[in-house]
Amino acid sequence: MAEKQAVDSNHPSPKKIFQIDARTLGITWNDGHESVYPVKMLRENCPCAHCIDEWSGERRIKPGDISDTIQPVKLHSVGLYAIQIAWSDGHDTGLYSHELLRRLCQCPACRGK
Amino acid sequence: MTDQDLQNQIIQVLKTVKDPDLNRDIVSLGFVKNLTVTGGDVKFDVELTTPACPVKDQLKTECEQKVDAIEGVKAVSVNMTAQVRSSQHSQPILTCVKNIIAVASGKGGVGKSTISANLAVALQASGAKVGLMDADIYGPSIPQMLGIPISPPKAVGENKFLPHEKYGLKVVSAAFLTKEGQPLMLRGPMLGGIIQQFLQNVEWGELDYLVIDMPPGTGDVQLTLTQRAPLSGAVVVTTPQDVSLIDADKGVKMFQQVKVPMLGIVENMSYFICDGCNKKHEIFKRGGGRALAERFKVPFLGEVPLLGGVVEGGDSGVPIMISDTNSPASVAYKSLAGQVAAQISINQAREDKVDANFELAWKS
Repeated sequence: MAEKQAVDSNHPSPKKIFQIDARTLGITWNDGHESVYPVKMLRENCPCAHCIDEWSGERRIKPGDISDTIQPVKLHSVGLYAIQIAWSDGHDTGLYSHELLRRLCQCPACRGK
Repeated sequence: MTDQDLQNQIIQVLKTVKDPDLNRDIVSLGFVKNLTVTGGDVKFDVELTTPACPVKDQLKTECEQKVDAIEGVKAVSVNMTAQVRSSQHSQPILTCVKNIIAVASGKGGVGKSTISANLAVALQASGAKVGLMDADIYGPSIPQMLGIPISPPKAVGENKFLPHEKYGLKVVSAAFLTKEGQPLMLRGPMLGGIIQQFLQNVEWGELDYLVIDMPPGTGDVQLTLTQRAPLSGAVVVTTPQDVSLIDADKGVKMFQQVKVPMLGIVENMSYFICDGCNKKHEIFKRGGGRALAERFKVPFLGEVPLLGGVVEGGDSGVPIMISDTNSPASVAYKSLAGQVAAQISINQAREDKVDANFELAWKS
């Protein structure tokens, strides 16, 4: 009856989320892809309503706003579709959906695209 | 032949009996329990993952026939049991609830509450322990449909309260928090608070299935539930006409976006059987629900007819699943319950599930 649901193939999910070093987050996906993220880049791309204007979609964080020493404090899952990151600057309202995280991947192959 | 040899042969034969949903044999699934052979008399249990299993009788017959055909077997007695497995989660809420089923739709008025109530009764009738949460805060109709008088829930201990009980179901509803007939007028943020209470402060006890009757649409309550409650899956209800299907389409997409597994789509008010001519009248067109399910590659869970008895049952507080278990609607509800339970078991058997309890403290 249940062929594999369409949602799976188009929307990979993280299999493992882990810290690589003090400034890098790693995600291994269930389709085998391995992502790396400099944490400062993740903070700069926070999708919450404070950081992205709700109406215009304009990014409110300017280059230089985020300190080089920014670090996550804690990460946890939200439902089955996202993770929430609490940052060392006190910001914690961003929900990073799996889809967004996949788009932000900074591995050599994805960056080359 | 010794009993020991016979036992080995029985195991070999049972390895050829497959669960059609999980697509594996019942021995490797660990379903076969308490096998005893005494002088040719064979007894064993088959423990399924849900008492609502739609192929229970078929499996039982297959086991009996195959074992009976072995030389040396005099009599076979197969006992079908079930142990509902828990959808993996260790969130601090709803710890004794094994599986949570959200019943949703894009549009209001398609019969979500009727489907929820009858689905809950059908699961309960199969032998499962079932709860029903009426999450439609502004238009709670579950108490009316189950004939539960409005009274405040009983408090236990600090901050906890007991669900109401009817027909063996445990029930909570926002209707119990107001005076009868009074509207609950709340701003958005309060809604999340009430849902949070239903999740955290209700003493559900042990449940195999918790059915959540969602409000229509894709708003606050839906988001809170998908973020806070470890949902095992969602059932989307639609009626056959386009205006309902368009919104059901959005409902399915919402669950896909938040990655709640789709258990399937059920079509309500599919047809009306005239009591004069016994003809099926397809008032709202036909086949829309099935087409939607095919488009999203999710299971189609069936068509529920529009019958006077269903409406009567909802208004009088005796769901048709209680008053007339042989009505075509009740047959459809039983099939729905079986398929929903089977889909949950299938999802649990998958290996690429998302970890809903991920937590990482960063080391600087």
